Amino acid sequence: MNTAIQASGLGKRYRRAWALRDCTLAIPEGRVAGLVGPNGAGKTTLLRLAAGMLTPTCGTITVLGQRPGAGPAQLARVGFVAQDTPIYSRMTVADHLRLGAWLNPSWDDHLARQRISQLALNPKQRAGSLSGGQRAQLALTLALAKRPGLLILDEPVASLDPLARREFLRGLMEAVAGQGLSVLLSSHLVADLERVCDYLVVLVASRVQVAGEVSDLLASHHRLSGPRRDRAALPAGQEIITESHTDKQSSLLIRADGPVLDPAWAVKPVSMEDLVLAYMSRAGDDGPASPQRLKVAS
Amino acid sequence: MIRLSMLQLRAQAIIAAAALIAFAILLAATGPHLASLYAASGLDGCKPASCGQRASSFLQLANSTSPYAAVNTLSILVIALTPALTGLFWGAPLLARELETGTFALAWSQSVTRTRWLAVKLAVGGLAAMAVTEALSLLFAWWAAPLGRAAGLGGSGNLGTSQFNPLAFVTHGITPLGYAAFAFTLGVTAGALIRRTVPAMAVTLAIFAAVQIAMPLWIRPNLFPASHTTVPIAFSDTTLNLYTTSRHTFTYSLATDDGLPGQPEAWIRSSGAANAAGHPVSTAVPSACLPAARSSGPGPALANCLTSRGIRIAVTYQPVSRYWPLQGTETSICLLLSLALAGYCFRRLSRLS
Amino acid sequence: MVEFQLDETSGVATYLQLVQQVHQALRMGMLEPGDQLPTAQQVVAQLAINPNTVHKAYRELEREGLVRARPGLGTFVTRAPSGPDPATQARFLAAMTDWLRSARAAGLGPDDIEAIYRTAFRTCFAEGVA
Repeated sequence: MNTAIQASGLGKRYRRAWALRDCTLAIPEGRVAGLVGPNGAGKTTLLRLAAGMLTPTCGTITVLGQRPGAGPAQLARVGFVAQDTPIYSRMTVADHLRLGAWLNPSWDDHLARQRISQLALNPKQRAGSLSGGQRAQLALTLALAKRPGLLILDEPVASLDPLARREFLRGLMEAVAGQGLSVLLSSHLVADLERVCDYLVVLVASRVQVAGEVSDLLASHHRLSGPRRDRAALPAGQEIITESHTDKQSSLLIRADGPVLDPAWAVKPVSMEDLVLAYMSRAGDDGPASPQRLKVAS
Repeated sequence: MIRLSMLQLRAQAIIAAAALIAFAILLAATGPHLASLYAASGLDGCKPASCGQRASSFLQLANSTSPYAAVNTLSILVIALTPALTGLFWGAPLLARELETGTFALAWSQSVTRTRWLAVKLAVGGLAAMAVTEALSLLFAWWAAPLGRAAGLGGSGNLGTSQFNPLAFVTHGITPLGYAAFAFTLGVTAGALIRRTVPAMAVTLAIFAAVQIAMPLWIRPNLFPASHTTVPIAFSDTTLNLYTTSRHTFTYSLATDDGLPGQPEAWIRSSGAANAAGHPVSTAVPSACLPAARSSGPGPALANCLTSRGIRIAVTYQPVSRYWPLQGTETSICLLLSLALAGYCFRRLSRLS
Repeated sequence: MVEFQLDETSGVATYLQLVQQVHQALRMGMLEPGDQLPTAQQVVAQLAINPNTVHKAYRELEREGLVRARPGLGTFVTRAPSGPDPATQARFLAAMTDWLRSARAAGLGPDDIEAIYRTAFRTCFAEGVA
């Protein structure tokens, strides 16, 4: 299985602060991967490292098997839509398509024009006077029409109204279905990711907290509730992510390699939102060396 | 990439083309009449002895006939300002606007490397700026040719400025090319460092103005060693001033700034009273000349008296043959600076995002 | 062609919802052997979900033996699921509709009817569980 994005110990520092640390990922091709985490967690930094906008301070990253931004051929295989979907406000929609055609040898003009007319965008309209949703769709068209193997999107729907958001994701998913491309998109809204992502990366406080196929993650995480008991009583192979106790009851969110067999626990499945929130709150509590986390037995 | 650079400069190019056309129309409307005035003055084929007078009267006629003086002044100002304008409005926004608005993320994620992107934009914008400035300069050179010839024949007057005059030097010849390139790359570099368009424009203007002031004051004069000579005090070409220091003594000053005998177009750097060997002498009026000074002031009588005492004018100058070497050297300096600035921009490019 | 719907609040995985809806359509006679299922492209255009989800659902249906994917042509129904035939389904559908009409006529509102239904459902299926 080829990887779309492979990172090993990847880190990026700006002056004194680390924006991203110890990032190790192996996202397979053909996935729609969601990168979720609070603002300032390092999502934009990771995406820009993958797109070749930044160079790493330490560690390595390869995208579709090559170093990001390594040359025109590699740049042609990766599409990038930055936060707030920048476009040239004084150029028209048609000018933007010309930009794409002139700068990308792999440009599919038919696809671009088809998308523009489907979206009912006026080619002669100045891009600066488009609505937020139209701008996002124009930026997506530019990125898709160069036929990349991987598309990277930084919070593409953050400032869009619900209808524009749905339309954007619809267009994106249609392109995935039609072109078979891999996608990495970031969001701080889990609901959007739930609909479209089959791979998840949770990034909090500049570190990857958890990453994997969504179906695997949802299958291996459980909510446990039962009478109050000590943490140490959990068997090996099970790791507590978050827990809360009243004087009578314990509620845990755990990650388990196998099924939970202890009959005293009521076991419920977790939703993606529960999972993300649990890892986010754990990262908030934790220092670098936390005594709260159980080691997963090998 | 070339087409994209031209597309992005489209609005500015239209303004520049309109200005160029307006300028050309103005010069085309007034140039032929100036040339006919020159033809009527009989300066072609004049005898060397009388050329100076005829040339001066032609220049005075041209100066007092409207609109030549105004067109002359306007043209020089336009050509002198064009490098600064292109540097500000074409150079400064090139990187600064992309960084400010975030569109660099769109540009640098297409299938061209940043280096190629910047190289083409620099080349297209820089060459366009140089072409516009030089076109204006060449148009003006065609229009002002009669004036230049009259000055070369020894004419003096408002419209007969020396080609070494600071404003004239940067608006004629090939120096406009150099300054256009320098202002443009200066603007781009300021944009790369400051990352915001309006502050980059301000810094570009300030630094370019400083260079344009420093060049004629300190650099151009020292590019080549000066020549020295002494000339007699000829009252018509000399400036003789008399100053009263006390009731009974006077001091004087001598200067010639209109050219040397036989070298009307030389660049006079400095001149002053000296003896025949060229050494400066005291500027106190000798006692033998005091009567002439008291009676007729700074006039021919005083001048003759000083001459009879062996006083001459020592002149430090650059001969007119140095004009093109100076042009070439100054332009080369500007172009080298431009290349250095451009090189710096390329080196910084990977750290800009 | 059957049109899928997505219930985001149900907690059931998306691909399972698609599988269930195909099962239902087959039982109700809306899909018959030989019919083509919507392509992933069409489902995605309608629901804005990940196309891999559609593929996963269709693979599950293929595993159950209900559909077969023909490369380049589409995914087609091969047989109906075991269970009551459409005639039986239609008979019970008619009976249910009559019951609902008379309940409404008797003055029961949607919440009352829902409560009655859920109680009866729980009782009935709790009896039958092994």
